[in-house]
Amino acid sequence: MTRKTDYGYVIKPAYAPKDLDGFDYQRDLGDPGAYPFTRGYHPQGYRSRMWTQRMTAGLGSSREANQVLKRYREMGQRGGMQVIHDRVSCSNIDSDHPLGRREAGVLGWPGSSLLEFEELMADLPLTGQSITILGSCAPSALRLAYIIALAEKRGVDLGEIHGSVMESPFENYMGQTDIQPLELNLKLFLDACEYVIRNKIRMRAAVISQHFQESGGNNAQALGVVLAMLREVCGLLVNERGLDFDEVATLPYELVSVGSRFFEEIAKIRALRRMWAKMAREEFKAKKEKSCQLLIAVHTSGRTMTYQQPLNNLVRSAIQTLAGVIGGCTALDNATLDNAHAEPSTLAARMSLNTQHIVAHETGAADVVDPLAGSYFVEALTNAIEAEGYKVLKKIEKIGGMLAAVRSGFIEEMIYEEANRKFRAIDSGEQKIVGVNHLVIPEEDDFEIPIMEVHAEASEAIADRMAEWKKTRDWSAIEARLRQLHADAGKGERFNLMPSIIAAVKVYATAGEIMGVIRLGRGLSYDPLNMIECPFALDPVAA
Amino acid sequence: MQSGRGIKIIVSMIGLDGHTTGGEVVARMLRDAGFEVVYLGPNQTPERIVHAALQEDVDAVGISSHASNYGQIVALVDMLRQKGLTNVPVVCGGNIPKHQARRLREQGVAEIFPPGSSSAAIVDFLVGTARKNRGGLALAAAGG
Repeated sequence: MTRKTDYGYVIKPAYAPKDLDGFDYQRDLGDPGAYPFTRGYHPQGYRSRMWTQRMTAGLGSSREANQVLKRYREMGQRGGMQVIHDRVSCSNIDSDHPLGRREAGVLGWPGSSLLEFEELMADLPLTGQSITILGSCAPSALRLAYIIALAEKRGVDLGEIHGSVMESPFENYMGQTDIQPLELNLKLFLDACEYVIRNKIRMRAAVISQHFQESGGNNAQALGVVLAMLREVCGLLVNERGLDFDEVATLPYELVSVGSRFFEEIAKIRALRRMWAKMAREEFKAKKEKSCQLLIAVHTSGRTMTYQQPLNNLVRSAIQTLAGVIGGCTALDNATLDNAHAEPSTLAARMSLNTQHIVAHETGAADVVDPLAGSYFVEALTNAIEAEGYKVLKKIEKIGGMLAAVRSGFIEEMIYEEANRKFRAIDSGEQKIVGVNHLVIPEEDDFEIPIMEVHAEASEAIADRMAEWKKTRDWSAIEARLRQLHADAGKGERFNLMPSIIAAVKVYATAGEIMGVIRLGRGLSYDPLNMIECPFALDPVAA
Repeated sequence: MQSGRGIKIIVSMIGLDGHTTGGEVVARMLRDAGFEVVYLGPNQTPERIVHAALQEDVDAVGISSHASNYGQIVALVDMLRQKGLTNVPVVCGGNIPKHQARRLREQGVAEIFPPGSSSAAIVDFLVGTARKNRGGLALAAAGG
């Protein structure tokens, strides 16, 4: 039987010096902390900076998500918190929207207003830990405004806050969809990024290949896609927003998915560091070393978490965590053992964080930087995936870059082809998955795990609370800010909407209202689902 | 594995669930197995799915669910009933926990296929329960 990587490279039974023909240590690897950073950015590795160990939170009401964040802190999550939006606020509509009503607080945090963010962060510090909020691109500008508004209210120096609240728009179209148009998402993303850079705010932007891989894309494709996304985002900020590349380069971080193909995953992370360093220096003419260092966070693969025999997922997660750590990631969060069933239970979350703590403190994997450097096999794999990744990048470039590749459907097709291939390989038994098509046990013999429950009434309660609370706000202040935002939204792609979004957020305008008037200002309908109307009359936009 | 020839089925996501890969893969697999697939894609309200079921005169409705928004699925089943489509089974696939699957069956969903389900299991069930092959059987009967 031929053994291959997930992108089709044929693996030999053994590797030797001849497999690294022309290998040059300084050129290809460099010492840890030296260009091209294949071996990472710190000479001392995890001895000088441990990776950020975190778990994704967000489910039910904001108050409930706040409780979960506090529990995670007690479980040892101190370096950074990570929250994911519900599908409603991901779409920038409100919990009390007729469609939002049935799924508010389901699958994530219902972050549709500053009030929700205040409740999420109650008794939690804005400083001393990184604040990461994810879900989709559309709320990027809002999340940034929440941070700025709450810092001001609490009297916290904005310069002391760090984290990541922006998210690039391409991921919304990788094995998923978004009800907000790509052009609008992109504009708001660029506005938020530009605002952060010009005001020296320490917030990063996620450029995520995780969705691409979790939806089916292979490891080499993921590298090509990441680089194409980075090139597009940095290019737009430099060329259209007039920013300096060395300022732009400290903005993005990459979230990669790490599965169980241990050595391939390590090779992928190493290759990504090298590929970005070269792109930054050779293409964007980076002047600073820091600009060549892409932060890489790891999400262990939810796709590999099986529904059947879920305890097996602890083993998978441990292997994947070790791969992420040996690969030299900057932050890591785990898919949980119950990933194929529901949102993480307390037990599953604890096991995920414990997995990271065990790898950190008991295995010795964090003692030595890039411990597999020089392995004939791993270096050959790093070269192979890099070469294959560049091929994918070239294809995307040929179409006209990442935006064009998303618009043309090329990225989506790539995902579906791979997803189908993977499904057929498992369906036919060609690829063995323990508990699914190999060593299957009867369902009644399966170990029962605790499962997080979702109740429809909870969504209704979140929606009702929002509807009632809306009536208590100072409407005249909100309307004035929304009118300003509406007027600004018609002033062209490069007119930055952040100041007027921040002003609207501060008086508690909601996501649906803010996005609604921006949409109207751009000639779109107020509601992307065309189910509700703008609550006040606005002058038509000048054509 | 049986053939789905002559059976018309909707494959759709529901509500704000934007995850499309599962639905795409299953739609392709069903087409390969002979079904006529009406693929609605993401961001479909229960109302729109019912409308399509009537318009297209389908024999079954398949919902790919990856967002825990079960309220939308229950609303869909209720609306199909109200329109008299009691013999059009609703079948779901995706990461749906067991207790939730039980509840959905009680509320009229014909079957739930968890991740890792084989194509043979899905196809054989659909061939056995699609309206075309069941005449006037009540929907609840398929729930077992």
